[in-house]
Amino acid sequence: MTETSSPPAAARAASTGDRSATLYRLLRQTGVLAALVLLIIVSSFLNDRFLSVPNLMNVLRQVSIVGILAVGMTFVILTKGIDLSVGSILGVSVVLFAGLLETQSMAVAIPLGILAAMALGLVNGLGVAFAGIPPFIMTLGMLSFARGLAFIYTGGTPIPILNENFYDLGNGYTFGVPNPTLILIATLLVSGVVLALTPFGRSVYSIGSNEDASRLSGVPVGLYKTIVYVISGGVAGIAGLVYASQLSVGTPIAGQAYELDAIAAVVVGGTSLFGGKGSVAGTFIGTLIIGVLANILNLTGVDPFVQQLFKGALIVVAVFIMARSSRA
Amino acid sequence: MTDELLQAQALRKQFGNNVVLRDVDLSVGRGEVHAIVGENGAGKSTLIKILGGVHRADGGTMKLEGRELILNSPQAALDQGIVVIHQELSLAPDLTTEENIFLGHFPRNALGLLDRRRMRERTRELLDRLSIEIDPTVPVGQLSIAQQQMIEIAKAISVEAKMLVLDEPTAVLDANRVDTLFDLVERLKAQGIGIVFISHHLEEIFRIADRVTVLRDGERTGTSDVSAIDQDWLVSKMIGREFEAHHTQARGMGEVALELEELSSEGAFENVSFSVRAGEIVGLAGLIGAGRTEVAQAIFGVRPHSSGQMKVFGRPTRFSGPGAAKRQGIAYVSEDRKAFGLLPNRPVRENATISNLARFRSLGLLRLDRERAFVREQIEQLDIRLPSMQAEISTLSGGNQQKVLLGRALAGRPRVLIFDEPTRGVDIGAKREIYRFIEELAEDGVAIIVISSEMEEVLRLSDRVLVMRGGRVAAELPRGEATEESVMRAASLD
Ligand SMILES: Nc1ncnc2c1ncn2[C@@H]1O[C@H](COP(=O)(O)OP(=O)(O)OP(=O)(O)O)[C@@H](O)[C@H]1O
Ligand SMILES: [Mg+2]
Repeated sequence: MTETSSPPAAARAASTGDRSATLYRLLRQTGVLAALVLLIIVSSFLNDRFLSVPNLMNVLRQVSIVGILAVGMTFVILTKGIDLSVGSILGVSVVLFAGLLETQSMAVAIPLGILAAMALGLVNGLGVAFAGIPPFIMTLGMLSFARGLAFIYTGGTPIPILNENFYDLGNGYTFGVPNPTLILIATLLVSGVVLALTPFGRSVYSIGSNEDASRLSGVPVGLYKTIVYVISGGVAGIAGLVYASQLSVGTPIAGQAYELDAIAAVVVGGTSLFGGKGSVAGTFIGTLIIGVLANILNLTGVDPFVQQLFKGALIVVAVFIMARSSRA
Repeated sequence: MTDELLQAQALRKQFGNNVVLRDVDLSVGRGEVHAIVGENGAGKSTLIKILGGVHRADGGTMKLEGRELILNSPQAALDQGIVVIHQELSLAPDLTTEENIFLGHFPRNALGLLDRRRMRERTRELLDRLSIEIDPTVPVGQLSIAQQQMIEIAKAISVEAKMLVLDEPTAVLDANRVDTLFDLVERLKAQGIGIVFISHHLEEIFRIADRVTVLRDGERTGTSDVSAIDQDWLVSKMIGREFEAHHTQARGMGEVALELEELSSEGAFENVSFSVRAGEIVGLAGLIGAGRTEVAQAIFGVRPHSSGQMKVFGRPTRFSGPGAAKRQGIAYVSEDRKAFGLLPNRPVRENATISNLARFRSLGLLRLDRERAFVREQIEQLDIRLPSMQAEISTLSGGNQQKVLLGRALAGRPRVLIFDEPTRGVDIGAKREIYRFIEELAEDGVAIIVISSEMEEVLRLSDRVLVMRGGRVAAELPRGEATEESVMRAASLD
């Protein structure tokens, strides 16, 4: 390379630039984090019960189900897809847990319920990745189909859950932290590692960024897209576990409209609906922002109907700010 | 030029703390073709984007016909009669040719509704003028990149322009289409339109431009009438030094790595037979549309072949897809960077390694330190100019994006490499580096196919030149017999 100017100089530029780019990225991510911190500070002034440990634990417990769903949703949205069926799949798993626990042990019921959820996700994945059905349509169909399954399975009447040990999953504490929160954190950690540090995770981003280019680079696009929906389904099954345990009843309407909350959490957390950009860390923060907002509105006694307005506005404003900051 | 159309003074632009343009002046007269040249990353496209209202300058002034020009958006530039064709094409892939051409200024009838008939007539007219033969009703996403470039040009001349700005329009065009474009430029010139033209092909500057401005690292290092200078002047202003002469070394060749026997693919190519040995560079020449890219796609498993067979290292093979081809040691660099290359919103690092993540995996997890080391090496070897490997690839200049994609192809340690227009949009200095690099790969025993519409490139690199025409191999010329004339004759004879 005698004709080049000075590779060492270029390399030097690369290493110093690396640091400033990391800083920049950090700032972007901390943008969402800063919003959460700000919200927490404001909330603590609005109500002095807000910052108490029991209340914060309560928030963490309440966001768990949607938080878990949102983790799976993040995978899907990163590939430029969407999964509208997670609420219904959650519903199927909830009634299955309830039904199976009537005759089976937890060791049998839990894996079976989650496997069933993954199977429904697999159908989504095959439809999207191999039959070429747009994700919106495929999962909209599944939203209705899976809900139908839940109703048929129960015959329309809720199935009570009497297993005491099962009750503990959604309501107990370990080391002072609510169990559902621990399940959420475990889901987050595993997903974070998978996305950042495995070839599969890396490919999820690349598929969302440019599917054709990924395919030409040898990424097994069809397989990976399928897996992404299986993950989303399986994660909905895990969320169903928490739901069934917390309510101790298998109701076929479980999880209705939860998909929208999950999507909201992902989007508020900074993941782009255009694919290829975002993280589960962001999704977690998004989940917390929505959860804290709901909590403080409750504490200050805001009318539940009015709360809906706040949530709606939050989503739109968050996305607006994000679009602005990424253009600059 | 006494009759000034555009005058830009002391334009400055920086991204973060990376200063990309420093006090650059540019003036364009009516009926003048003003060329801008410079190495990859010199700031040419950035300057163009300021003229086109895409970026706002951080300093400096612009005047059009003596009046202050402030552009807040691409639309504002259009309204002023400044039409820009950017380096990255910006057609809507799902819309048809005619819809793309008239997007934003659809012809309307008396009722204010879309006048389809007039739109079609005007489209035909424009396409005829540019001698483009395409069906104006198919989505442009299905057309070749050269055709898309021509449609961009048709779109540009469909509006009343005072100034036409072309960022590397010839990079994707073959010789015939370049002629068509230049004829058009001459005509527009005669109408008094000012034209800004960017190209890395210096001979084109001497053919078409009246004046030339040279940029180096964001600074203007010279402006001159083209008649007063020669190529050496340009090169010295661009890179500040002279090139050394090039010597091709004789390479030893090994076993046959890839062999096609009477390979055909319906509607694309027919009975194509040739072989490439380890350590050999075979050039695939021909006009655009001759079926060269399609052959590459068939080899790589993205296009089915209907008859014939392919052997890889002597074994009959048929790849089910790019993944399978890659596992057999075949890599392909597409000619269409935007559609089939870039992961636009991902960092350079990820772009460079996506083709072979397995290489950096241990115990199921990616070793980011190894990945970084690999990318650092690529950046150094290919002399990629970039703020950091963490930067989104879309913030790199076009030529540097191309180099990242070349690096990507190497991540898989391929034994057969197919380069489709490997130096598209790459400056002359970098081009030589890439040639050297390709030659070094061949010396290391990689079998190489280079598809190129650039005659010089094919002749300089190839041990053997295959000329394709109308989906068939029209001639096979060993190094001694391949000349500009013999290749051109085989490519265009009918
Ligand atoms: N949006 C952006 N954000 C950050 N940096 C940018 C952006 N656009 C361009 N740059 C940087 O500005 C410099 C000049 O880029 P520009 O695209 O103008 O080069 P160019 O002369 O057109 O090169 P080429 O011949 O490769 O097309 C490069 O270093 C590039 O990385
Ligand atoms: Mg450029």
